[in-house]
Amino acid sequence: MNTDPNRPVASIRDRLFAAAAFLFVSLFLLFVLGLILGDICYINRKAVAAVLTSGFIRHALWMSIWTSVTTTMIALLFAVPMGYALSRFPFPGRFIADTIVDLPIVFPPLVAGLTLLVFFSQTAIGRWIQEDLGLEFVFQPKGIVLCQFLTAASFAIRSAKTAFDDVDRRYENVALTLGCTRCGSFLRVSLPLARNGIIAGGILTWARAFGLFGPLMIFVGSFRGRTEVLSTTIFLEQSVGNLEVALAIALLLIFIALVALTAIRLVGGSALVKL
Amino acid sequence: MICTEELTFRVGTFQLDHLTIDIPTGKYFVLLGPPGAGKSIFLECLCGLRRVDSGRVFISGQDVTCTEPRLRGVGYVPQDYALFPHLSVAQNITFGLRLRRCEHQQLMSRIQDMTQLLGIQHLLPRRIAGLSGGEQQRVALARALVLQPRILLLDEPVCALDEAMRQEVCVQLLRVQQQLQLTVVHVSHNLEEAFSVADLAAILHEGRFQQIGPIDELLRRPNSEFVARFVRTENIFSGHARATMAESTRTRIELGHTAVDVPGQHTGNVKFAIRPDQILLLPEGGQASDSRNCFELQLAGWRDCGAYIRLELTGPINLVAHTTPAAFSPLRHCSRLTAVLPLESIHVLS
Repeated sequence: MNTDPNRPVASIRDRLFAAAAFLFVSLFLLFVLGLILGDICYINRKAVAAVLTSGFIRHALWMSIWTSVTTTMIALLFAVPMGYALSRFPFPGRFIADTIVDLPIVFPPLVAGLTLLVFFSQTAIGRWIQEDLGLEFVFQPKGIVLCQFLTAASFAIRSAKTAFDDVDRRYENVALTLGCTRCGSFLRVSLPLARNGIIAGGILTWARAFGLFGPLMIFVGSFRGRTEVLSTTIFLEQSVGNLEVALAIALLLIFIALVALTAIRLVGGSALVKL
Repeated sequence: MICTEELTFRVGTFQLDHLTIDIPTGKYFVLLGPPGAGKSIFLECLCGLRRVDSGRVFISGQDVTCTEPRLRGVGYVPQDYALFPHLSVAQNITFGLRLRRCEHQQLMSRIQDMTQLLGIQHLLPRRIAGLSGGEQQRVALARALVLQPRILLLDEPVCALDEAMRQEVCVQLLRVQQQLQLTVVHVSHNLEEAFSVADLAAILHEGRFQQIGPIDELLRRPNSEFVARFVRTENIFSGHARATMAESTRTRIELGHTAVDVPGQHTGNVKFAIRPDQILLLPEGGQASDSRNCFELQLAGWRDCGAYIRLELTGPINLVAHTTPAAFSPLRHCSRLTAVLPLESIHVLS
C-alpha cells in the first residue's frame, strides 16, 4: 500500500539522499534519548520516592507550572498587539524596535538576571516601584514571572509578527470593503489566520520559561517553599550531593515538558504538528 | 455614478497621474492595460483601500475621497478572490451580513437569492480549500453582491481561470450585471475578455489614461500607437506626408518606394494603421474601382483562425489581411494578389 501518494518515483540516488537526511535525524534523536536513558539508569527507586513525596518539590513543581503559564499568558498579551503593530504599521524606528524585540533572545541568561537585579535595587525608578508602589520583585515569586517574561517574551512577539506577516493583506482589505473597521478586520480575519503562529510562539515562550534557571538564581534566588522552581531545585539538590534526586527531578521536568508540548500540538491541529 | 477628478497617487517611483474619468450608472466598464500600468492601484483608490495624494473620488454624486472603504457602498472582488480560508463558503458569503447584524430570515433569503443567481447552492457547506478556481470566483462574487452594492469592482476576476471557464464566467458576469443593474469596473489585461463584457473601456499605461471610450471605438479608432499596438492592431506604418491641396480630403504618405493615401490633411511624419479586415483582396490583375491604394502583393502565407483567414502579403508594402473562409476560397491558389486599401480602412494615429 502506498503510504504517501504525493511521493514521486525515486532512483537509488534519491533514496540514498533521503537515507542521509534520516541519518542526521536518527543521530540527534539517539543523542537526546541516550542522555535521558543515562539519567533513568542512574536514578534509583529511593530517589523517585523522595521526589514524589517531598512537599518542597511539589511546591517547586507548582511554582514552575503557574509561573511559566502566567508568563506565557502575559507574553501573548503583549505579543499579539506588538506583532500586529510591527507587521502592519510603518513608524519611524520600526527597524530598531524590531531589533530590540530580539535582544533578550541573545542575552546571556545571567545578564538578564543581573540587569533586573541592578534595575530594581540600584536605580531610582526600580526602588520607587519596589518601595513606593509596593510591587516587590527581588527575591519574590512575582520576580520569577518578570524574569521569565524578560527572557521568553521575545519568542512570542517574534512568532506573532511572523504570523501576521504571513497573513495576506488582501484578506484584511476585503474585510474592510465588506464592512469591517480596522479593528474588526484584525479580530475577525488576521487573528484567526495568524492563530497557529501565535500558538507556536506561546509554546516556545512556555518552554523557555519552564526551564529557566540562571537569571532566577540571581534575581529571585531559590528559597525553599517560596521562590524555588524545578530548575533551581535540581541545582540545590546536586549542590548538596543528592545527584540521584536531582536527576529524578530533571526527569520529572522533561516528562512534564514532553507531555505538555505533545498535548498542545495535538490540540492545536495539523498545522502545529508541522512546527 | 462613479467618477474621479484629477486623481493622483504615488507609490515609490510609480504614480497614477491626474486620472479623470466618469463611469455612468449601469455601465460595464473595463480598465485595460499592460501589467504594471496601475490598474489594481486605481481600483484600490476607488474602493478606499489607498488614500489618494490629490484629486477626488465621487460615488453616486457624493465625494467619498476621505470615506472609509466600509462606508463607500462598493462590492470588491480582488485578484485571486481572497476568500477567507478559515471560514466555510456560507460563512464567507454571509461575512458582511453578519457584521451588519442582519436578521436570520433576511440573511437566509439573501443567501438563497445570491446562490441561486450564481448556481452555487451546493457549495455552501464546503471549505474554501477544496474549491476550483471557477467556484472560488463565484463565491467571491456572491460575498460581494450579497450586500447589494450598486457598484462592483472586479480586479482581474477571471485571470486565474482556463480559457473555457473564462468565457463562461464572463457571460455570467454580464448577466449578473444586467440583472442587478450594476455599475461594474472590471480590471483586465486581456482584450478578448474586455470585448466580451464591456460597454466602455479605458486603457491605462504608466499611470495615465491613454484612451477612454466605447470598446468598439478603441478597436477601430485607437488614438495612439500604444493603444493601437495594445488592441493588437496590425499594419501600423509611419511615413512622411507630401504637400496636399487645401481642399483635398486625403494626404499621400511616402513609405520608402511606395506611397499610401490616408484620410484628412496631415503634415510631417504621420503614423497610421490599416485594419486587416477592411482590406479588399482580388486575384492578381483584378480591377478596383479606384486605382489609388492598390498594391500587387505576394501571398507569403496564410493561417486559418476559425472565424477568419489571416493572410501575410509582401511586396512594396507588407500587409496582414483578414478575410472570410468563403472569400478566401477563390484566392487560395493565387501566389500574387491585388490588395485595395479603402480610405475607411485607414486610421491616422495622433
